[in-house]
Amino acid sequence: MMNSLLRTISFTKKRLMFAIQIILAALLPFTAPAHPMPNSVVLLTVHENRIDAEIQIPLSELEAATGLPVNDPEIGSAQRFEQQLRAYLLTHTRLQSPNDQYWRVEVGTLSFTKTQNTINGTYRELVAHLRLVPPAGADTRRFTLHYDAVLHQVATHKILVSISQDWETGQLAEENPEQVGVIELDIVNNRILPLAVSLQPGNAWTGFSSMVKLGMQHIAEGTDHLLFLLVLLLPAPLLFSRRRWESFGGVRYSLMHLLRIVTAFTVGHSLTLLLGAMGWVHLPIQPVEILIAVSILVSALHAWRPVFPGKEIWVAAGFGLVHGLAFADTLANLSLSTGRMVLSILGFNAGIELMQLLIIAVTIPALIALSRRPAYRLIRVGGALLASVAAIFWIIERAAM
Amino acid sequence: MKALTKAGSSLALLALFTLSCSSSEESSEVTPDTGATSSVTEALAVTTSANTSCSSASGVAKVVCLAEAFKTTLSSSQVSTMQLTYNQTNTRKWSNLPAGMSARVGIDLGSLNDTQLAAFRDLMVAVLEVGTSNEGYDEMLGNLVADDYLTTVGGGSDYGAGNYYLSFLGTPSTTGLWEILFTGHHYTQPYTFNAGQLTGVTPAFRGVEPASAITAGSTTYQPFEQERQLFATMLGGFSSAEQASAKLSATYSDLLLGPGQDGKFPATKSGLKVGSLTSDKQALVLNAIKLYVNDLDATSASSILTKYTSELADTYVAYSGTTAVSTKNDYVRIDGPSVWIEFSYQGGVIIRDTPHPHSVWRDHSSDYGGN
Repeated sequence: MMNSLLRTISFTKKRLMFAIQIILAALLPFTAPAHPMPNSVVLLTVHENRIDAEIQIPLSELEAATGLPVNDPEIGSAQRFEQQLRAYLLTHTRLQSPNDQYWRVEVGTLSFTKTQNTINGTYRELVAHLRLVPPAGADTRRFTLHYDAVLHQVATHKILVSISQDWETGQLAEENPEQVGVIELDIVNNRILPLAVSLQPGNAWTGFSSMVKLGMQHIAEGTDHLLFLLVLLLPAPLLFSRRRWESFGGVRYSLMHLLRIVTAFTVGHSLTLLLGAMGWVHLPIQPVEILIAVSILVSALHAWRPVFPGKEIWVAAGFGLVHGLAFADTLANLSLSTGRMVLSILGFNAGIELMQLLIIAVTIPALIALSRRPAYRLIRVGGALLASVAAIFWIIERAAM
Repeated sequence: MKALTKAGSSLALLALFTLSCSSSEESSEVTPDTGATSSVTEALAVTTSANTSCSSASGVAKVVCLAEAFKTTLSSSQVSTMQLTYNQTNTRKWSNLPAGMSARVGIDLGSLNDTQLAAFRDLMVAVLEVGTSNEGYDEMLGNLVADDYLTTVGGGSDYGAGNYYLSFLGTPSTTGLWEILFTGHHYTQPYTFNAGQLTGVTPAFRGVEPASAITAGSTTYQPFEQERQLFATMLGGFSSAEQASAKLSATYSDLLLGPGQDGKFPATKSGLKVGSLTSDKQALVLNAIKLYVNDLDATSASSILTKYTSELADTYVAYSGTTAVSTKNDYVRIDGPSVWIEFSYQGGVIIRDTPHPHSVWRDHSSDYGGN
């Protein structure tokens, strides 16, 4: 259980980090037009009562600064310097509030990875996770960052500092990190100036509405959720006999049936979204993703021949539970405080519902109009077939990951 | 009949054999150790000039004549790409990255035909020293050859002599302000002219990867090896006390004042004051400076050298890493009242785990001709 939990975390982290690396690689030619040596990157996630930092340090530069042979082609071998590197990071990371009080710095996990960008090609780096906690009463939006790892010794090193997530200004980890400054040698005066950070104040409304946007985006871009819902709705206007779909059941029948299915799906995914995002339930993401693909396959079969006629509501609710777990994963990754998490769940779910309603508003009239015609059979079976192909592809792809 | 089929089949076999031979010959043509020439470097390696109209001119007038002669070989759309306005945006458009990663202005050598390349060569020969192996024009050519080599060892299409750019910023004249800017991956050389005078030849960037020798055609190039060796000779010539005072405590994995770092000269000079040295050791420092200045044509070089020599006593030498200047992160700096030279032996990019040199020559007052 513990193992699968850890795997889940590292899996989602990997995806996030991959996204960030791609973004950074795209940014690099602009942020460092001429620097042939890889930079350090400090990514800050701003919470109400603390900042989580991800620090990426190229091992070639770290080796030059510390004298420790960490830049070994055998990437795991750097692990043996973990204790020294933790102490080193503590020595070179200090944060100060405007009243001069220092923050508490905790060094979390260290990992060693290979990374690449267009300018430096492939290189090895240390990725460290730090927790930065201001003194009681001090806020997390104004501070001076005294961070000079590598730079204290390697005069040509550069440290790019960015905000990767700031909930109250609506900045989420899925977007480009916003650079707040560069820590580098002041060559003229031969000194290293700390970086003063003063973030624009945000508010709960901005945070909430960005979550609504994220929810809408999630459905609009989440082809699998969309496909499941559409395929489930395909036979909804039809009457059925024991073995096959029959003729159109009338406007009232169709409408009620469609709305019940959609509501059941909503109830299901809202429940697990809440449970999952609050951290009360945590399932590994891979089986969840596979189950989502299976849910599409099942509803596609049902669109072809009635597999569970009359019980669509229960199936929609059941699979809703599964889809909700995937939604929850997005929120759980933000690691927000309880208050913000509750707002985020509300906002995110509202976004999902809004987008769902929009899609339903467009498709239901079309479904009702088309399902009166005999040719609707072709649409229904064709749609079911296409969805099955996609579902089988996803099942294989997600099982292989 | 039987004999006929037999003859036919053996003929077919022979044809097949010949075919396979010729194809294997083709595939063995690329030998990575000796590098690859491009049509650009082949055209630039020609030593005779086709130009006769400018031979009677001299000094800046000759440069203007050759610049105009180059322009006449271009189509009108090529001229509009190459002939640009003199302004700070354009003069600062240089980098130590390939043009594909940090865009340059002007026309790329890859788009020029042989006639146009010959006219380009005539112009560069007039502003660079000619006839010394791996210095002046030969150093530039060796740099292009090395960059061609990088395309064959994993660098890809961003690299190579075709990706070096020439522009005229301002119209060439013996009266106005204008600049010749030649810039590509590991080589940038500007010439700023104003009122008929050469007013600046910096910031000039030099580097090369690989640092080892590359052969192209019948010539072997190692364009930046003398500089590295001369720095080692200079540092090795100092006493241990002198070395200690020249040694910087910081580590340098790159240049301090590379592209984009204009005018950021340290307020206080670091290291060993050349004026404190014996005259033969002072000569070692001057020799290192000469390897940069003497890349220029003799007339231009001598006036600059006169100035740098007169300021030599107030010039400082500093280094970091080892005095052999042969390991990664070895670094040398010469900082005078006017001259600024940095040399950084840094980690490889295309050829991993093998250091290569980056170097910049700046001037405290005449970078970009003081503009």
